[in-house]
This record gives sequence, C-alpha cells and structure tokens, in this order.
Amino acid sequence: MKEQNSIPVSKVERSAKFVTTGAKVGINYLKHYSKKMVNPNHSREELNKENAEDIYNALSKLKGSALKIAQMLSMDKNILPKVYSDKFSLAQYSAPPLSGPLIVRTFSKHFGKTPDQIYDTFNINSKHAASIGQVHQATKNGKKLAVKIQYPGVGDSISSDLRLVKPFAFRLLNMSEAELQVYMGEVEEKLLEETDYILEVQRSIHFSTVCKDLKNTIFPTYYPELSSKRIITMDWLEGIHLKDFLKKKPSQELRNKIGQALWDFYNFQQHELRAVHADPHPGNFLITPDDQLGIIDFGCIKEIPDDFYYPFFTCLFSNIFDDRHKTIEYFRKLGLILKSDTPKQVEFYYKNYKAMISLFAQPYQQAEFDFSKPAFFDELFAWSEEVTTNPKLKQARGAKHFLYFNRTNFGLYYILHDLQAQVKTDTFRPHRLNE
Amino acid sequence: MNTKEKLENAYIDYVLSNNEQPKSVYIFTKSLKLKEDDFYTHYNSFEAIEKRIWQQLFTQTMDIIKSQETYAGYNAREKALSFFYSFVEVLKSRRSFIIYSLKHTERSISTPAVLQNVKEEFSKFSLEIINEGMDNNELSDRKYISDRYKDALWLQFSFILNFWIHDDSPDFEKTDEAIEKGINVTFDLMSRSPIDNLIEYGKFLVKNSKFKPDFIFK
Repeated sequence: MKEQNSIPVSKVERSAKFVTTGAKVGINYLKHYSKKMVNPNHSREELNKENAEDIYNALSKLKGSALKIAQMLSMDKNILPKVYSDKFSLAQYSAPPLSGPLIVRTFSKHFGKTPDQIYDTFNINSKHAASIGQVHQATKNGKKLAVKIQYPGVGDSISSDLRLVKPFAFRLLNMSEAELQVYMGEVEEKLLEETDYILEVQRSIHFSTVCKDLKNTIFPTYYPELSSKRIITMDWLEGIHLKDFLKKKPSQELRNKIGQALWDFYNFQQHELRAVHADPHPGNFLITPDDQLGIIDFGCIKEIPDDFYYPFFTCLFSNIFDDRHKTIEYFRKLGLILKSDTPKQVEFYYKNYKAMISLFAQPYQQAEFDFSKPAFFDELFAWSEEVTTNPKLKQARGAKHFLYFNRTNFGLYYILHDLQAQVKTDTFRPHRLNE
Repeated sequence: MNTKEKLENAYIDYVLSNNEQPKSVYIFTKSLKLKEDDFYTHYNSFEAIEKRIWQQLFTQTMDIIKSQETYAGYNAREKALSFFYSFVEVLKSRRSFIIYSLKHTERSISTPAVLQNVKEEFSKFSLEIINEGMDNNELSDRKYISDRYKDALWLQFSFILNFWIHDDSPDFEKTDEAIEKGINVTFDLMSRSPIDNLIEYGKFLVKNSKFKPDFIFK
C-alpha cells in the first residue's frame, strides 16, 4: 500500500500558504509606512489594493473549504471567476487518504463489522477523492458499488477554515462583520450539511425519485442500510467526466442531448421543486456509455424560498424592467437596494443589477439558446471584470440566497458553454406572480 | 468466576463507587466474605490489581488486532494505527475505571506505576514493528536516534490516552483524528526525509571543509 508514506505535502503547503500571505500583508503594511514617510500622500486605498491582491492570490491557490468559501464569496461579486470550471474541478478537501486501519475502524464503529464482512469484495485503496471523503469500489450480490467514506474531522475543519478566511474576507471585501456574517452563515450551513451523509442519502433518494421521469438522466441506487453518518453506499455508475467526454469530440447532436438533460434537470428542480442540486461542479456528472447523464452527489441542496423565488423571477419575466419604480421596489425586496442607500447609490445599483439580471435572463428570452455563442459569455466576462475592479460592486449584496443561486445557475451556464450545446430553454418555465 | 476475577471485579466496583481505594486489604476481603489469605495468593497490593487490569486491556487489544486477517499485510505504520484504534475501542468498556486509575495513581514525571507492565509490553510491540519497518526500508535507520523510536511511540501512547480521557466528541471521533494524524507524523519523522539528506549534506560539507561554505554569487 502506498498511501501516506510521505509527508502530506498538501497540508503543509496549505498552512504555509497562509503564512506567506500573512507575511506579505505585513510587508505591504511596512511598505505603506515607509512610502508614507517619504510620500505622505501614499493612500490607504493603495495599501488595501495591494493587500487584497495578495490575499486573493493566496486564496485562489488554496484547496478545500477555504477555497470554496473564497469562491462563494467572490461568486456574488465576481459572477464568474474566469477559471471557474478548472478550479472547481480541483476543489476538494485536501487531506491525505485515510489509512487502511482507519477505514476498518470507521466501518466497525458504524456497522460493528469490517468492510470485508459487509461487502463481498472491498478495495481498500480508494478509487478517487470526493470533495470531503474518498470513494472505494466494492461488490455485493454481484453488484458493483461505490462506497464513499468521509474524512474524520471535516466538520471541524470547515468551521476553522471559515474562521481562517474571515479576517481576510473583511479586508478583501471591505464589509462589516454583521454584513459578512449573513453570507458566511449561509456558506457554513451548507458546508456543514454536506458532512451529514445520512441527510445526503435521504436527499439523494428523494431527488432521484422525483426526477426519475426526466429524459436522458440517470441516478445511482442508494443503499440506506449500508450507509451511515460517515459512509454512503450506492451503485457504481460507469461513465466518464465531462472533460474526458469532450476530448472524444462528441457530435453536436450528442452535446445537445447532454446539455438538454442538464438544463432540464436544473430547471425542473428550480421551478418545480424549488430546491436545487447546488453544486454544478463537473465532477458531479458522468456521461454513461449509452450517452445518458449520470448525476451523483446530492450533498449540497439549496432550497429556494418563495420570498426570493417570486420577486426574482417575476422581475425577470414580466415587463417590470420597463418601469423604473417597480424595478426598484423589487430590488428592495431582494436586498439589492438597501434602505440606507443614498439616491446616488440607488441609481448606481439599479443600473448595474438591472444589467446583470438581464444578462442572466438572456437564455430564457428565446425558446432555444445557443450556449456556444461567444458573445453572451464575453458579456459575462466583461461584467465580472467590471465587478472585480469596481469597489462599489465588490461588496456582496442582496439576499443570502443569491450566493448558491448564482453559483448554481452561472455554473450551469458555464458547463453548457463547455459543452457548446444548443438547448431548448422553455421546457420548464419559471412561475411568477400575477401582476 | 474464580477468586482472582472476583477480587478484581469487587475492587473495580469499590473504587468507582467510593472514588478511593478500600481502607485495607482486611476490610476489603471481609466485605467479600473472603480471607486475607485469598487476596495475597493472587495480588500483593491493590495496585497490583490495577496493573493487571491495564495489562489485560493491552493483551485484549493485541489479540484483537492479531486475529484480523488484514493485520499481517499491514506495514509498520498501519500496524501502529491498527493498535491504537483497537486500543481506544477496548478502553471504552472500562472508561470510568481508567479515568479513576490514572487520576489516583502516583503522579511522577515518569510512567505512572499502574502502567509499568503495559509500557514494557508496548515497548516490545513497538520494537517489533520498528525493526520490521527498518528491514523493509519503511523507516530510516539513524545512528543513536533510531534507538529512541520506541520512546516516540510511547509518547504517542501517553498522548493519545490523555487525549481520549479528555475527549468529549461524539463516539470519540476526535481521538480517531488524533491517532491518524499523530501516528502519521511520528512515522513521517521516522521515515527517510529531507532531514536525512540535510544531515548527509552537512556531513559532506564538513568532510570537504576546504570548500568553505561561501557563495560566489547570490
């Protein structure tokens, strides 16, 4: 066995990364004060900018929950970090693989039996890492199974990673503790939910049942009796990830088919279930040998409450945008414009969020949308560029639901762009309030 | 139940109920309707009972891990991990006694008296796996230092035991983490590492001292 024979480099590097960031920030302060001595006009803003860049660079090199948090926070202001798909496919809790004895221990703790006693065969070497655990292959009664085992202490590490990121986030986003707490709380809640495997199995079974009529989409069977707080047993889905699928140069027709399955899967959940698989990370999808979309991992589910859903989709699909007053009224409901805003700020956010939401709505405007069109994504990029450089837009704003909502939808757009798919976007129409 | 076990159970019951040792062997045996003689045939003191209980916990652990099919295939690191995971599992059945015993045993900087026997046996076990690890190059054989490897493992033993006593996480999950991380660090340190290369490089430079550690350019 090969695992853990070396120093867990990633761990060491990970803490080192924070150390260097700390040091760099310190140096920036030094530079600031020395520059100030020479040139009293060296502004604090310049310092903040230097800090922010260093912090952001350090965070974007991190893996694990710290990375997720950084991205979640940036998602709102940053709509699409450019390297979205690559980074997200790398994002995983960085831990060395579990030792054989700990795997045996985890099983005997939860089932009173060793893996060999539970399954007909069990491969002690993990096949691949899931975001907060590792996946093993097993067989039972002639069925090939995937067994996901969670790293111990992940929950704790999430909370401590969050605490680690917090001071950086304050400086980076220039927000008050109370403002930031709303978003941090949302992220922490979701991340902690992901560590509850019993909940994940329940949700997986629920979602795969209600989504079973969707075309070209398949779900593995889950085995609650072989699952526990730290272990999930499900069918092993054969298939390849999107990246490898695209390498095989699939036909336009096939890409459309997969893209359509994805679109339907998300929009069915969004508009019919009001709860959505909020982790559109390419690793959570498989293309099976018979060209179906396999969906695994229901760890992260975002429920969309009515008081968010209706205002948002109503202003998207009525002609409210023609009416400035009404639009502002809706933006207030969504927390995009605050009571404390000055008229100038109101105007600013009105203009910008209107532009952003209109952009979001584009795929819905026609019955069919071509996600390979570069124009749409160029516009998205330009927008995200604008958001990152404009300090007024940098601050996270709006209802906390935007975090996962944006992540899900823009994540979906991005995958469809990768697929270069043409998709019928009117399969599940949004509901809205009658005006 | 033979007298030996009877004495043992009665003793555990007594200390856990009263949070102290019985006043004397005489009073203790009297309450059991036994003669003092019966006690001294098996034990020479109350402490001897505690020692034996600890030793039994250790033996039980060794029996469990050695009976596992996978154990023989494990490398040294995994054997150590396997030992500690099973050990804390075995300890669970006697948690109250263990907490009592460690609290009341003579505090000294060295090993608590009740753990004396366990330490000896654990050292034997450690040496066994360390030698095995050095034979198959899993561990690095270092002059002077490798003799101390077993002490490093004993240090982990004491740390993990103490951690477990204070662990209030559900199902002692944090102890599992402490074991996984702690044993890995210990074994990482005992494996060939940059430090070995650094030392060798240092030796080389000293031996070739005519090349002064000076840099032509920086």
